[in-house]
Amino acid sequence: MILLFIENFRISLTAVFANKLRSFLTALGIVIGVLSVTLMGTLISGLDRTFESSMSWLGKDILYVSRYEWFSGMEWWEVRNRPRIRTDYVDKIKERSNYALTVSPVMQRGASLSFKDKKARTEIFGTNEDYMETITTNIAQGRFFTRNEDRSGSRVTVIGDGIAQAFFGDKDPIGQYIKIDDIKFRVIGVLEEQGKFLGLMSVDKQAILPLGAFKRIFSKRGWMRLSVKVPTEKMDESLDEMYAVMRHIRGLKPGQKNDFAINQTKLFENQYNMLKIAIAGTGYAITLLSLIVGGIGIMNIMFVSVKERTREIGVRKAIGATKGMIMSQFLMESVTICSIAGLVGLLLAYIFSIFINKFFPSTLPITLSIYAILMSMAVGIISGFIPSYRAANLDPIDSLRYE
Amino acid sequence: MALISLKNIFKIYNVGGEEVRALDGIDLDILENEYLAIMGPSGSGKSTLMNMIGCLDTPTSGIYEFEGEMVQVMDDSQLASIRNRKIGFVFQTFNLLPKATAQHNVEIPLVYANIKNKDRAKMATDALESVGLADRLHHKPNELSGGQRQRVAIARALVNKPSIILADEPTGNLDSKSGSEIMTILDDLHKNGNTIILVTHEDDVAQHAHRIIRLFDGKVIEDSKQAP
Ligand SMILES: Nc1ncnc2c1ncn2[C@@H]1O[C@H](COP(=O)(O)OP(=O)(O)OP(=O)(O)O)[C@@H](O)[C@H]1O
Ligand SMILES: [Mg+2]
Repeated sequence: MILLFIENFRISLTAVFANKLRSFLTALGIVIGVLSVTLMGTLISGLDRTFESSMSWLGKDILYVSRYEWFSGMEWWEVRNRPRIRTDYVDKIKERSNYALTVSPVMQRGASLSFKDKKARTEIFGTNEDYMETITTNIAQGRFFTRNEDRSGSRVTVIGDGIAQAFFGDKDPIGQYIKIDDIKFRVIGVLEEQGKFLGLMSVDKQAILPLGAFKRIFSKRGWMRLSVKVPTEKMDESLDEMYAVMRHIRGLKPGQKNDFAINQTKLFENQYNMLKIAIAGTGYAITLLSLIVGGIGIMNIMFVSVKERTREIGVRKAIGATKGMIMSQFLMESVTICSIAGLVGLLLAYIFSIFINKFFPSTLPITLSIYAILMSMAVGIISGFIPSYRAANLDPIDSLRYE
Repeated sequence: MALISLKNIFKIYNVGGEEVRALDGIDLDILENEYLAIMGPSGSGKSTLMNMIGCLDTPTSGIYEFEGEMVQVMDDSQLASIRNRKIGFVFQTFNLLPKATAQHNVEIPLVYANIKNKDRAKMATDALESVGLADRLHHKPNELSGGQRQRVAIARALVNKPSIILADEPTGNLDSKSGSEIMTILDDLHKNGNTIILVTHEDDVAQHAHRIIRLFDGKVIEDSKQAP
């Protein structure tokens, strides 16, 4: 059996390489099929990686209380008509909620930062001393501000790694004064490096200030959200409770609609999974289509191959080949074409993935690659079956007579 | 007991509603180590008879016993095994695989006989040596003369040490010198105990045989023995 297998493989290679162009053209569908499925896998792996790191920045155990739902597609005027989230909710929530571990108000706006002649346009955040609990980033240098600094409106700031790099380079930023919209703040801490959120927005170029100072200097009436840290294992209960607490704070009667929103990173995940399904769906559709087209092509070329070698089949039978041996010879040939095509597709995908990796961190998934090769072999078996069966059952006399 | 025994064999084709009797009631016994020539005009059924004997074709009716066993009831793998181990075919048009070397062509029956790689090469080179082609192992058919090609085909036919060689006009495509070389090889095989059955149009080729049968319209019209 194994001898026949080796012999068949040798015959197949000869047959494939004897008709290089023809084999290549018919196998193109398989090449594209493998290429598209593996590239899709690469893309998703990259997205997963970016998403993971982005999500870790957001924190899975945080409820975000704000005026609008993420991804809800609410009209802006609807959102505007809702009451604002206010600083005094922080204490009210702490008072009423059993699950809330910490509550941080967060206000955000754009501002220009400068140090000597260096300038940067970035986002600044006003928050309280518990903010570090609600993000997963740590302090790399210095410290965060205290409750007292917040209350007293101290002009201190914790800056992102990107700002620290841009303004101070290798020098120690702690104790230096930077200007935020022309007002001096003392740098007391630097956050560790984060990378880019969803691969686009840098979170390393930010400055965090105490909410007291933020409100006094920049805006009293900006948009505010609350980040409420709750126990990870009690997310659902916490969410239910938070709705009740907020309805109470807002004085809503039963039957009245919520005029606030509570978001979780899960919403990002849902949204992200939908995106992933869309990408995978497209990828699989292209793959399926090219495999079908490729499979039909292979079947066709195998019929031609059987026809061309009718006489050879007769001779082989005359010198002792059984039907099974002939069948396996031709099946082997179509599996060989498909496997080579699959490997070519995989090689192309690998080259592409190296290229993609240059600007979008991602890897070619190994299991998917193996599946892709197995899949192309399966196409070889399926599309080679009927032609091989026909070859095996040719009448030896007719075949020997065939011109 | 006869090695090959044909009893009342018919092979009837239906061409456009008309019956063509390629074999029309053949009775024939062939013994071990016979040297038989089948002669007759074109279309008389010689090739059909050869294919029947070689278990490539099945009769429309009649009984064919090979070594005492009914061929009609054998399955594909039994027939393949007979063709592989007991019978060696030599064709008028050589029928070598064009892309394979002489040695590889000769090795193919050994592959089907499931013989190991190492032994295969040895057996194939021995067979090629015995037909005087030791120095042409790695030539492809288009790099060989007609006579050399036919010798490769003979090497292929005898590499599995079959007892019977079936040769359908083995010299038909060869010049007389190459033809007589082929006949010398067949004579030697016969001397070594093989049964030789050959189809020919040429009287001087038929003279090598010890028994001649003549076919006409699918019937045996003459069956004669002759001294070698
Ligand atoms: N597949 C077929 N269908 C119809 N008739 C056939 C078929 N094969 C052979 N015959 C007929 O059977 C008869 C015998 O053919 P066969 O090939 O045995 O002749 P032959 O004696 O070998 O002739 P030649 O000397 O030309 O090779 C011929 O009349 C041929 O037309
Ligand atoms: Mg003939």
